[in-house]
Amino acid sequence: MILADAGNILVWIVWVVAAFACLGSGIAVISFSNPFYSALSLIGNLASLAVLYLLLAAEFVAAAQVLVYAGAVMVMFLFVIAYLGGHADAPWAGGPSWQALWAVAASAALLVEVIVVIGLKTGGRLSHSPPTDFSFGSPATIGRLFLTDHLLAFEITSIVLLIAAVGGVILGSHSRETAAE
Amino acid sequence: MNGPAVTWYLCVAAFLFFTGALGVLIRRSPLIVLLSLELMLNGANLALIAFSRFHGRGDGQIFALTVMAVAASEVVVGLGLIVAMARRKLDLDVDKLRTLRG
Amino acid sequence: MIAAAWICLFAPLAAALAITLAGGRLTRRGAGYLATTAVGISFVAAVVTFALLLGDSPHDRSHPSTLWRWLTAGSYHFDLRILVDPLSVFMMLIVSGVGCLIVAYSIGYMDGDDEERRYFAYMALFVFSMLLLVQGGNLLMLLAGWGLVGLSSYLLIGFWHDRPSAIAAAKKAFVMNAIGDATMALALFLVIQRTGSLDFEKVFPQAGTFGGWAANLIALGLLGGAVAKSAQLPLQTWLPDAMEGPTPVSALIHAATMVTAGVYLIVRTHALFEAAPKVQELAAGLGAATLLIAGLIALVQTDIKRVIAYSTMSQIGYMFLAAGIGAYANSMFHLMTHAFFKALLFMAAGIVIHALAGEQDLRKMGGLRTLLPRTYWAFAIGALALAGMPPFSGFFSKDSILAAALANNGWYGDVLWAAGMVGTFLTGLYAFRMLFMAFWGEPSAFVREHLMTGSHAHAREGHAQHDGHETHMHTGEGPFSMTSTVTVLAVLAVVGGWIQFAGLWTLVSDWLDPVAPSLVDASGVQEAVSSIVAVLLGLAGIGVAWWIYGSRRAAAPRSWRVFERKFWFDELYDALFYRPAVLLSQGLLRWIEQPLVFGSIGEIAAGFRDLGLGARRLQTGLVRTYALAIAASLAVVTVVFVVVR
Repeated sequence: MILADAGNILVWIVWVVAAFACLGSGIAVISFSNPFYSALSLIGNLASLAVLYLLLAAEFVAAAQVLVYAGAVMVMFLFVIAYLGGHADAPWAGGPSWQALWAVAASAALLVEVIVVIGLKTGGRLSHSPPTDFSFGSPATIGRLFLTDHLLAFEITSIVLLIAAVGGVILGSHSRETAAE
Repeated sequence: MNGPAVTWYLCVAAFLFFTGALGVLIRRSPLIVLLSLELMLNGANLALIAFSRFHGRGDGQIFALTVMAVAASEVVVGLGLIVAMARRKLDLDVDKLRTLRG
Repeated sequence: MIAAAWICLFAPLAAALAITLAGGRLTRRGAGYLATTAVGISFVAAVVTFALLLGDSPHDRSHPSTLWRWLTAGSYHFDLRILVDPLSVFMMLIVSGVGCLIVAYSIGYMDGDDEERRYFAYMALFVFSMLLLVQGGNLLMLLAGWGLVGLSSYLLIGFWHDRPSAIAAAKKAFVMNAIGDATMALALFLVIQRTGSLDFEKVFPQAGTFGGWAANLIALGLLGGAVAKSAQLPLQTWLPDAMEGPTPVSALIHAATMVTAGVYLIVRTHALFEAAPKVQELAAGLGAATLLIAGLIALVQTDIKRVIAYSTMSQIGYMFLAAGIGAYANSMFHLMTHAFFKALLFMAAGIVIHALAGEQDLRKMGGLRTLLPRTYWAFAIGALALAGMPPFSGFFSKDSILAAALANNGWYGDVLWAAGMVGTFLTGLYAFRMLFMAFWGEPSAFVREHLMTGSHAHAREGHAQHDGHETHMHTGEGPFSMTSTVTVLAVLAVVGGWIQFAGLWTLVSDWLDPVAPSLVDASGVQEAVSSIVAVLLGLAGIGVAWWIYGSRRAAAPRSWRVFERKFWFDELYDALFYRPAVLLSQGLLRWIEQPLVFGSIGEIAAGFRDLGLGARRLQTGLVRTYALAIAASLAVVTVVFVVVR
């Protein structure tokens, strides 16, 4: 029992650290005026999210998060930012505008609404989760699901990626032509 | 399950999503708008995985992986557009792109 | 026989299409020859049909022929079919025969007109339409022909389309006829509803089963059509105005054939009329009233063509009278002789008008007897036939109608007989008033100017602006195509009546008996009494005309305004229908259209414009604004979902 309680407390500690890192880095992403720092913050955000995924027994997604997102996608981001230079608007420069005020209001309203709904409408039903075995969230399980129940989603995802790749090539080549003109 | 209940994960996910939304709404640099979009997607992913754990089924994770693929595609196209804008010597400011004004 | 009938029907249509399609590739004269040839082919085909039909036994002379199924509507279907029987062949002979003569006459009459080709195309179209009307094998084909003759009539009355009066007359004729077409179409709907068919042989045997009100309504509707087409009371006002058309048109359409279509309709659908005896009596009464009123108006008209037009109305009144009392054969017989002598009168009048450079006023004429002697004799034959003098054709046909009226039981027949007798007196009076005014006496200054100067303009009526562009000498009585056809018609007007002499030989009655057996049979005494009284009254009329207009021993009495104004029918219709409609329209325009419709259109347009201007301001072009709108909407929708669930 003590051991179980200790495990529970440890998980809580890890969760609190990861959650606050996640929120803080998220705020940092939208607050830095230099996009380079924003991107770095997003990498931290993704890493902390991976920790949360692990706590939710989603090992494969956590690994994909770190490898694909933090590794590949964010590297591309950093390359582009390095290529274009790190200038961006200061988020709160020039005093509050109507647009910004309304944006804050709308976002806050949505956040409050969702949290209120989570608190009120779900009651206690979300507090108990079923126990899981080791294989839950493992690459084998995910792979089996992908190739059986969700084969169509899998294939369509591949097509989406292909189209995106083609689109990226076309956008790049087009800009090269116009630059040549 | 050890640790906090799914509710707490959902709260973090909601906060993350709306942080991203705020970023999209108030930032003018397209790069940071894209980064904020990633935040929103990750908030949604967190909710998906939390529910996957809650239901004890892997389908939510499948969904999250698909979202990641879509996010990667979106980043490719978005960054391509930004690079194209830069090549045309356009300002990297979404407020300057208002050809559609009525 | 059937093939000949189809050829008879379609030859004029082919000519009309050929002239239309050939356009300038066909000479003007060629168009006239083509039309004449086509109508001549029709006549030959009609004669062949007639000869072959003679070979059949009298009660086996009805031959329908279907080309193809024309319309199918649910369980109803209508075929493109014709019916060859004694009645239709009788009409085919008249239409194509008289039509052929008049089209040939037109070659001379219309010579030099700017649009001869159009004229001949219309004439051929008319002959086709009229043949379709009389040959149609069901009521729908008959109605189609009915509408087409109305169209051709409209086109030909308005042939000189640069004359506003011609256009107005054409429109008047068309509108008046449209009233009749509408009532006829309604009657046909009722027939379809009752019998499910429009074929003659299916409809007529069931006529007795319609029931009182339906039979009356059907007969009334058909009578409406007949009255409009035949210019009988109360839809008679269009016919005098229709004289705006070229004179051969008046001869063919508004004297010989089309206006008698109403009589043909009554005889053809006599089964439907016999199912409604009251309506049939009404037809006879309308005929009697028309023959009196038209005869009275004809006394004071000064336009030579209008006098003949009113006499046409009057004579058709006789035919209606006969058809109304069931003397169908007598009615058709008078239709035939009338076609001869009325066409003759019109064409002789056409020669006069032609010679006088388009002048139609009787008061300016006079003394033409010595200047146009052959025309004078032709006109005199026509007038004698019209007045019913023996041995001219009108005598045989008109007197048998009067005898039938006398034979009709009851006081109604006697009244009709009396009206017909008064009409006979009037006929003699107006026919010879016209003759004496135009041909007797000393040539007026106007006539001398045109006919005795040696060189006179060859002009067409109503085309004064073209006068002199084609001056050439002619005998004054027109080219051969005109004189020859008038001669043929003059012979027909004399001998045409000899094919039936009441009591002795009755070829027409025997021929038509299988189709339309007469309801009345006049005795020899009635025939004799009617003939003697009618001839005496006619002679009296001629005598009075001679006394006043021929010998000029008495001054012409002051004519009554009621005659000159044509019994105020035009004014009455104007006040009853035209003016209220105009007032209503103006009121609607002022009180409804302007403030409500136009106003609201302006308001609606302005409203949408303001809305668009407002919406335009929303389109900032800023992507972030749109994203904000999405986010705000999402917030609102979330609240709605949560609260509603």
